[in-house]
Amino acid sequence: MVETTRIELLVNGERLTADVEPRWSLADVLRHQLGLLGTHVGCEQGVCGACTVLLNGEPARSCLIFAVAVADGVAITTIEGMNRAEGMTPLQTALREHHGLQCGFCTPGMVLTAHALLTREPEADEGRIREALSGNLCRCTGYQFIVDAVAAARPAYRKEEP
Amino acid sequence: MAEQAMRPQMMGARVARVEDPRLLTGQARFLDDIQVPGMLELAFVRSPYAAARILDIDTGKARKLPGVHDVLTFSDCPYRLWQRTEYQVGQPALADGGVFYVGEPVVAVVADNRYLAEDAAEAVRITYEPLTPVLEMRAAILEEPRRVHAGAENVFFHRSHRTPGFEQAFADAPLHLTATFRLNRQTAVSIEPRGTAALPDPASGRITVYASTQSPHRMRSDFSEIMEIPEHLLRIVVPEVGGGFGMKANTYPEDLVVVAAAIKLRRPVKWVSDRMESLLADVHARDDIHDVEVAFEPSGRIVAVRDHLMADGGAYPAYPFSGAVGETSLAARVLTGPYHIPHLATEIDCTYSNKMPLGAYRGVWGPVASFIQEGIVDRVARRLAKDPAEVRRVNMIRPEQFPYRNAAGAVYDPGSYGESLERALDLIGYEERRRLQRLARESGRYLGIGISAFVEPTAMASSEAGSIGYEACSLRIEPTGKVTAAMGLGPTGQGHETTMAQVIADQIGVDLQDIVVLHGDTDSAPFGGGTGGSRSGPIGGGAALVAGRQMGERLKTYAAHMLEASFDDIELGNGKAWVTGVPSRSVSIREIAEIAYTDVKRIPPGLPIGLELVARYLPTRSVSFSNGTHIAVVEVDPPTGLVSVIDYAVVNDCGQLINPTIVEGQIHGGVAQGVGAAILEALRYDDDGQLTTTSLMDYLLPQATDVPRMQIAHLVTPADGEGGMKGMGEGSLIASPAAIANAISDALEPFGVLVDTLPVTPRDIIRWTAQSGF
Repeated sequence: MVETTRIELLVNGERLTADVEPRWSLADVLRHQLGLLGTHVGCEQGVCGACTVLLNGEPARSCLIFAVAVADGVAITTIEGMNRAEGMTPLQTALREHHGLQCGFCTPGMVLTAHALLTREPEADEGRIREALSGNLCRCTGYQFIVDAVAAARPAYRKEEP
Repeated sequence: MAEQAMRPQMMGARVARVEDPRLLTGQARFLDDIQVPGMLELAFVRSPYAAARILDIDTGKARKLPGVHDVLTFSDCPYRLWQRTEYQVGQPALADGGVFYVGEPVVAVVADNRYLAEDAAEAVRITYEPLTPVLEMRAAILEEPRRVHAGAENVFFHRSHRTPGFEQAFADAPLHLTATFRLNRQTAVSIEPRGTAALPDPASGRITVYASTQSPHRMRSDFSEIMEIPEHLLRIVVPEVGGGFGMKANTYPEDLVVVAAAIKLRRPVKWVSDRMESLLADVHARDDIHDVEVAFEPSGRIVAVRDHLMADGGAYPAYPFSGAVGETSLAARVLTGPYHIPHLATEIDCTYSNKMPLGAYRGVWGPVASFIQEGIVDRVARRLAKDPAEVRRVNMIRPEQFPYRNAAGAVYDPGSYGESLERALDLIGYEERRRLQRLARESGRYLGIGISAFVEPTAMASSEAGSIGYEACSLRIEPTGKVTAAMGLGPTGQGHETTMAQVIADQIGVDLQDIVVLHGDTDSAPFGGGTGGSRSGPIGGGAALVAGRQMGERLKTYAAHMLEASFDDIELGNGKAWVTGVPSRSVSIREIAEIAYTDVKRIPPGLPIGLELVARYLPTRSVSFSNGTHIAVVEVDPPTGLVSVIDYAVVNDCGQLINPTIVEGQIHGGVAQGVGAAILEALRYDDDGQLTTTSLMDYLLPQATDVPRMQIAHLVTPADGEGGMKGMGEGSLIASPAAIANAISDALEPFGVLVDTLPVTPRDIIRWTAQSGF
């Protein structure tokens, strides 16, 4: 059998270990070694964005990253790390209320990309939202209700003045 | 009435979907999420040639690689699709001595995981003797350069139709035009790739197949018939499916191989397509040429249309539905669209080629027919220097003509044809747009307005979902009063768990959250056709409605008996039954259920024990026509050849709406696919028959920045079937390519451009605009 390497990943705030082959993608390790099946693999070509996770808060294609290449201490956030124990986040709730998903396969990647955008730019306008989501392909919704949902979630990301 | 207020009307309500929380939180389980102990993974070796004889297959090296369990060839899996006699050619599950398109499965490798399976696939040595590929449709029809299959003519489907008096009417018309239209290959591209997992159960001897399919019962029948597995030993389970769009309505060779491997190895086996495989070997669609002649009058009235419809069906008829036959024979049935064009002559030729088989993609014939029909109308308008809206008014079927039998014999039930056009023109602000267009042209900017009025044949007796014209719903009220419904639908994101529950909720008076709708499991669902051809809403919804009504009647019989009231005075709502006008005289559905299952001596005379039934609904019409009008506004930039769709209006009439928000979501998605169809998406084969568009960097899908904000208005012309619903899953992709194509033609009218090919590429636009000398 092929040699495996033990790695430690910081996923959703937990330190997890896995024995991986050097060629295994981060997406495959998250899914098949760590059981985090909410990360979806749509193209393995870095185009569709379904496998998007956050690395230190920035969207990244987990299908294009080798798990062994994730630097020590990088915080990985998957869709499983997005929602608090008690139900959905305001962004997720907005996506439901605005019918921002149909088959739902691209949805985890959309949620993470939109979360990263609004965390950084809580005032993002429609053009900016569309631009930020342009790396996440959706074949079902035509994007309009996703854009509406992200716009509706903006207030939840506005920081209160101290 | 007060009682009415107690009963929320779910039908027609903008209810948030019950499916969403699990999908939003990453808890939904798609095919590749099916993992069980001992599961093996399968990878295919696919043909690198468009046409070749196989001289030798050497699997020796592959078999010795670590983690490899088996390497299968045709002899391990000796099955063919189309064993029945409809066509002379049926695709083998794995290549049988020859290959007929690039991407055809030749060998299957089963290993501990996909990485190892792909390693071993690379170690399989196959010796081919390449043959001249057949790639050009017109030549193939003439048997040039050769026959694709030695034993069969290239033209595998031919049909012609002519209205009586056609030639005279055509000749007598004062004006004529000709045009050739070309649609280039496209495909559905669900974001979740196809996949199949087969799990033999040694305890029961049964085999469970997880499949990303739209038609679970049809797939069970297919495995049973083709592989001779007794049907009761097969269970098909459709997990969450990440988009289908018709493409997942087929049974594919890969499905047979996965099942055969699992049976042979007595292990769970899974295969999930990668994206390159998807683009190579998910059914393709829309490979059509139409040679058209049109006869018309100075008023703009179109008298007669002649069309030679050709489609490249690829190497085999896809199973169980050849897209080439569907795109042509059904396009010929709706080629006159929403217009009263009395004379039609069509001739159809579907040919084999050395390309991937053509199957279904949302709309199937609709986007083809619509592109031709709307292209014809705009050509007539251009020739007569009339407004395209005016020529549509002149030709539109009038309300008093319903039910309308078109020139191909299809009968349209009533719709809002002219009204939808006028509403759409209002919605987009047509006259103002024309004014802005003139102003823009003066400053060298090319805006275009494209109109597309459409008909959408829905709820058909036969479709890509099969020839099952009905749908079924089993409905059970559990002993605690909760409700379980099961249906044979295969939803791929349409939200049937929500919409079917909405339909049922109104009929039996329970809250939406007390109903669960199961689907896609042949062990729980009654036999049904599945999802495809815009049938789930009208036919599936009809079945849910009938089941709900029958259950409601049973509940009322209980309540009348228990409350000592007349059946006709019982109302249902909020989980209760009560006597009209006396809400205090009530009994809860939970109490009724307890009697039905446990205190059975109190069951009213004549009723069976329990609260469980199956209803099937077969519409009386063989097809019901939705309709509407799309208007696209584009800006074309001649120097770069880029097209921006900047505004978009849709007026849609699909009869009664179950959930308007879901309908709008469907429309948005179809229009986005129309943007792709019109200006982005093309599967390109090179001169050797190699597919050159095998990644999503080559086959371009619309992104969030490519799709305009859409305005939607609904008109409601109820169908005469149960619930008044018409289907609507496809209309938006039927109408939108033509709307955008016509808008591009309109924008480039100063250059004399009339779009005749989809998609329109930047290169086309640069060529058209550079040549004209402007």
